[in-house]
This record gives sequence, C-alpha cells and structure tokens, in this order.
Amino acid sequence: MTSISTNKRLEQIKDHISGSSVTREHLIHHRHPDDVVIVSAVRTPICKAIKGGFKDVYPEDLLAVVLKAAAERAKIDPKVVNDIQTGNVLQELGGIKVGRAAMFTAGFPYTTTYGVLNRQCSSGLQACNNIANAIRAGEIDVGIGAGVESMTQDYGSKSTPSKVSTAIKTGQEDVFLPMGITSENVASDFSISREDQDRFSAESHEKALRAQAQGLFDAEIIPVKVQQTVTIKDEKTGDEKKVTRDVVISKDEGPRTGTTVEKLSKLKPAFKKDGSTTAGNASQVSDGAAAVVLMRRSKAQELGCTILARWCGARVVGCPPRIMGIGPALAIPAVLKDVGLKVDDVDVYELNEAFASQALYCVRTLGIKPAKVNPKGGAIALGHPLGCTGARQVSTLITQLHHSQQKIGVISMCYGIGGGMAAIIVSEKD
Amino acid sequence: MFTKHRTAGYNGYAVQWSPFFEDKLAVATAANFGLIGNGRLHILSVGAGPAAGAVNVERVFDTQDGLFDVCWSEVNENQLVTASGDGSIKLWDTTLADFPIQNWHEHQREVFSVNWNLVSKDTFLSASWDNTIKLWNQNSPRSLQTFNGHSHCVYSAMWSPHSPTLFASCSGDHTLKLWDTNSPAPVQTILAHSNEVLTLDWNKYQDHTIVTGSVDHTIKVWDLRRPDRELNCLRGHEYAVRKVKCSPHSGSLVASTSYDMTMRMWDITTGDMIEIHDAHTEFVLGVDFNLYRDREVATCAWDESVHVFTPRCLM
Repeated sequence: MTSISTNKRLEQIKDHISGSSVTREHLIHHRHPDDVVIVSAVRTPICKAIKGGFKDVYPEDLLAVVLKAAAERAKIDPKVVNDIQTGNVLQELGGIKVGRAAMFTAGFPYTTTYGVLNRQCSSGLQACNNIANAIRAGEIDVGIGAGVESMTQDYGSKSTPSKVSTAIKTGQEDVFLPMGITSENVASDFSISREDQDRFSAESHEKALRAQAQGLFDAEIIPVKVQQTVTIKDEKTGDEKKVTRDVVISKDEGPRTGTTVEKLSKLKPAFKKDGSTTAGNASQVSDGAAAVVLMRRSKAQELGCTILARWCGARVVGCPPRIMGIGPALAIPAVLKDVGLKVDDVDVYELNEAFASQALYCVRTLGIKPAKVNPKGGAIALGHPLGCTGARQVSTLITQLHHSQQKIGVISMCYGIGGGMAAIIVSEKD
Repeated sequence: MFTKHRTAGYNGYAVQWSPFFEDKLAVATAANFGLIGNGRLHILSVGAGPAAGAVNVERVFDTQDGLFDVCWSEVNENQLVTASGDGSIKLWDTTLADFPIQNWHEHQREVFSVNWNLVSKDTFLSASWDNTIKLWNQNSPRSLQTFNGHSHCVYSAMWSPHSPTLFASCSGDHTLKLWDTNSPAPVQTILAHSNEVLTLDWNKYQDHTIVTGSVDHTIKVWDLRRPDRELNCLRGHEYAVRKVKCSPHSGSLVASTSYDMTMRMWDITTGDMIEIHDAHTEFVLGVDFNLYRDREVATCAWDESVHVFTPRCLM
C-alpha cells in the first residue's frame, strides 16, 4: 500500500464522518421534482437617490414594474402565483398597502397573497428564502420574492427610529449606531487600511463599467419609463419653463468613469474624523426594485417554464451589532456547510459591498479568491437600495453564471442590527 | 446472553453468519483501522445452549491488505469470499490452511462489498471504489461482467433475494441503482439521499422494498414501484450509517450500524427505533442476523471486538 492510496483511503473515511463529501459535481447535477427553482429574476436599473432617474418615482411604481416583468419573463399567468413577499426597510407600513395595490396594477389577482418583511439589507434575499421555504414545506407551488427601496422618498429617517424607549435603548446603543460607524469599527478592529478600501472600491467601479460596456446587465434589467420634469430655456425669448417628458431608464447610474484610487484617497472620512470610511468606499444611496419567481421543479415542468437556477438554501447568522459588517463571514460558512461545499467550490460570490471595509474583511477571512467576488462590481459602484439589494443580487448572479458558464453562486450581505445572510444557487443553464 | 470476542490488533469491518451452520461466524478485519497494513479473516464458532458464551476460533486467514467485507458461498458450506483494500477478491476454504484457493485482482481500487447470489447461487458481485461493480463465478479466472454507471465509489452491490438477475447498488454519487445482469446499464436510478449512500439491503419478505443508509445520518425505506420518494426516513443515528441489514426472520425488522458507535434496530413499518446497542467503544461497521438462531445478532467494530447477543427487543 503506497502512502498516496493510504491518504486517499483516509480522506474517503474522513468524508463519511464529516459528511462533507457532497461534491460540487453532485450539487451541479442534482435534479429532484421537489427542488425549488428560479424561473425568472429581474430588476430595475439602480438609480442615484435624490438626484437620479427615479427621483420622482414612488417605490410602488418600481415594484409594479418588476412584478409584472418577472411574471412575463417567466411566461406564467400571474394567477398561478400563490404568494408575493417583498423586502423593504424604510417605507411607511413596510409598504404593505401600496405594495398590494402595485401587484394588482401589475396584473396579479386578489387570490395571489401579499406580504412584506424587513430584515434590513438582507430583506430582498429573505423574501426569496421565505418563498423558497414555503414551496419546500408544500404550502405553495409558486411565489415571488421581491425587494424595493426608494431612498429618495424614504431615507428621511436615515434608517434610525424617531421614538425609542429609553429603558430599552440604554446599554443597547450599538443597535442604533449609524452604519458608517460600524464600518469604522470593522476597519479598526481588523486593521483594514484606507488604501485597501479605496482600491477595492475603484475596482468595483472598473468592473461595473466593463460589465456595462459588454452589456452584461442587459438580461437582468427591465427598462423603466418615468416622467421627468426638466427646466428648459426658450432659445428665442430666454424664458425658462418646466416641462414633463417621458424618459426610459435602462442603465445603472452608479458606476463612474475615472474613479481611481488616487481620487478616492482624497475624500474625507464621512463618519469619524480620523476614520477610513468615505462616501467613495461605501455603498451608494439608491432607488430600485427587483423580483424573483420561484417554484417547485415539478410545477415548472408542468407549466413549461425554463429553469434558470436552483435555490439550494440560505442561512442567517447573528453577530455583534457594532461590527455588523462581518455578517457574511459567518453566514457564508454556515450555508456552505449545509450543502457540504467548501469556499473554493463556489464559482461566483455576489457579496454586497455595504462598505469596502466589511467586504474586504469577509473576503480575507474566508479566503475567497478576489476574482470570484462581484465580477460585475458591487454596491459601491452600482448602489444599494436597502430592501431591494438581496433580490437584485439574485438577478445579477444568475446572469453572470449564465454568461460565464459557471455553476455555483453565493449571495451574501451583512445587515444592520448585527447579522449576515447567505444563499446558494446553482445555475441550470447547460 | 452477551458474548464478546476480541480480534486483537484488528479492527472489525464486516460479519456474516454461515448459511449452513448455526454457530459459524465470519469476521473481516483490518489492522490500523483499515488505513494501512494487513487484513485478517476470522472464522468463529459461537456456542449456544449450555455452551452459550463460548467462542472458538476455528481458523484465521491473513492477507496483505485490510479486509472490508466477507460473504459465505451459497453452494459450498466451507467456502467464502473476501473484499480487500488492494482491489483483490479472495476465495477461501475453511478446511484448508493459510492460502486462498482463488485470487482475483481486477478492481483498480478498494473492494468494499461482496455478495453471493441467493437465487441462482452460482455467481457473486463485488463493488469497488473504482466506481464499478463486477460479476464473478468462482470457477472463472476472470470476471464475467463489469457494470459502469456510478460516478463515485460504489459501496455496496446486493442481489435481490427474489430474482437471479436483479441486483441493487449504492454509491458516493448519492444514488441507489437497480441492475439486471442481462443489461449493461442500470435499469433504474434513484437519487436516494442528500449525501453518500454507504449501504443497502433488500427486504426478504417484500420483493420491492429496499433499505438504504447514508452519510446524511438517515436510513430510508424504498418501494421500487414508487421510487420518486422514500416510504420512510428513519432518523436517530448521529453520524453516517455504515451498514443496514434486513432481518431474515421479520419483514419489518432492520438493524443498522453507524460511526456514532451504536448498532440500532428499527421497525420499518412504524418507523420506530426499537433498540440501541451502545456497548462498542468505536465505530460500529458490521452487523448480521443469525439465520438459524432467530434472536441472535452479531456486530463488529473498530474497537477490535465482536459482540454476539440477543437484543432486548427480540427477547
């Protein structure tokens, strides 16, 4: 017996005990009638809040656009959808009433139920997972997980509650920290340098611009027609007047040419005088919506839907609120363990860039190869409409896996109040 | 009655009671937990009645590599075959000392199971970590047939007790496959577990029922006529299930062994766990029901011991 074969034998037995031998290959080729599959995943372009293309648009307008398009792309009759859940962070009442109206506007009947949820920046992903779990439990056959946020309309509170019990808040101040401060905490606790953060951010813009130029977002973006009010000057009289006109927005507004490390290094810290988090190495404040149609595989086959990817599960893991950005470093291993994969087995990580500090911390801690992280850029370039982001990432990841002909993708993000979420999908495009 | 026999220096991998003698037990073992080094086949005689508790070592056979499985011939009461880590399969005669009477070496990796045809009685199967299953006749110098179809280690291949040409196999590729020796390709593939499937056995009373055990800790009961979903999923083992064995005396009784160091018994009709044997102190790998003494069970484990006893649920 040579030592090589002894080691192989040992490895084999070790796999029996650790249970970690679910090979990549198996996960890729697995097909079962009860699988939860994704048959469409769409999003609006992400626009800059306040001054961007959606500044005059309500979040429910955006939601109606993606819900309608998600059903159309899936080639399903809206009435087969049993439930729609939308993730949202800032809207009044969580957007429950306007969302219900929006789904009616989008053509869904009253028999399709509606609900909203808030788990901060993971809300859009949580919505998808709630739908997936309801399918898995046999409660529904078809559902839509969506996410929407208009930071133009709803960011007045800065995501901080106006009325809080003093008794509750005392001693729990970390829960109420501005997100920028949690980023500073991660950067200083784990020594993430300003220069590294700026380099990561410049790369995010570079990757997003390259992907835009190659048309890599086209398959996931639903162009949105909006009415914009602009001031024009009459050339003869010199009078200025306001006119309203229809504009079609089909491109993310965030990626900015000429974003270099040098330029980013000149920005002042935004949250702390001697800090390292700036407007340039944090996610952008944005508006957008996204929707994902999930169903049981047997139902997809019955309806003749094209299966884009399989939902393999998700995990949410808590962490201290003062360093909430480390969440993905905890959630990703948890979900990988569920399916028996190792960090290297994943082809693409769609890791939300809430801040370069926390994204870098997670990439380094988990030992993810940088080339696998956000190949089309992340929230630093594209923007981060809070409740929308998770569902947006699902659409971005699927189009990327299809484009690069890769198979296994992970979506992950941290969320304020202290936690991380991660989900695994497997492309089923041959 | 509880009898313990030490296989000193050798870790137990498999046990099988003789189909001809009520007291004869074959035990396949390997030194150094089967990772490297020699193997040893033990032929034991286990007393009953007034001689209960007495274990007589009738013979031992030593091999160059660990032995992972053993099965008695169904035609010759003194013969049995072993599966070895070096890819070899050996036929032994207990009336002859020291050397095997036949040695086949075709598998490219560890052979993990051997199983004699219960109906035609003229052939046996081997399953290997080289992803193949081979069909053998003890008088042929080479295998009769090789079955390709699994994409990972094949851990077990077991004949149907009801048909001379039908057998089932399970693999690290998570599937259970059914084969007919008249066809080179599997006739049915069932995605049986969410992890490696290490063991399977046929129900002796229902020709369409198979039981599987997996690294996912579960045991599943399958009706081959409705393969889209298991009939029952038995949960209780805390680590991978290494061996499942359907009782020859009852259609609802199944024994299982696990890396959780226990042997358990199940009523597969109700799904209840009815016995935990936790006297072993290492991984329990082998279990078999005595064909003649219907309450007697043997187990072997990595703790270098063989237990022969009557489980409480059978008392």
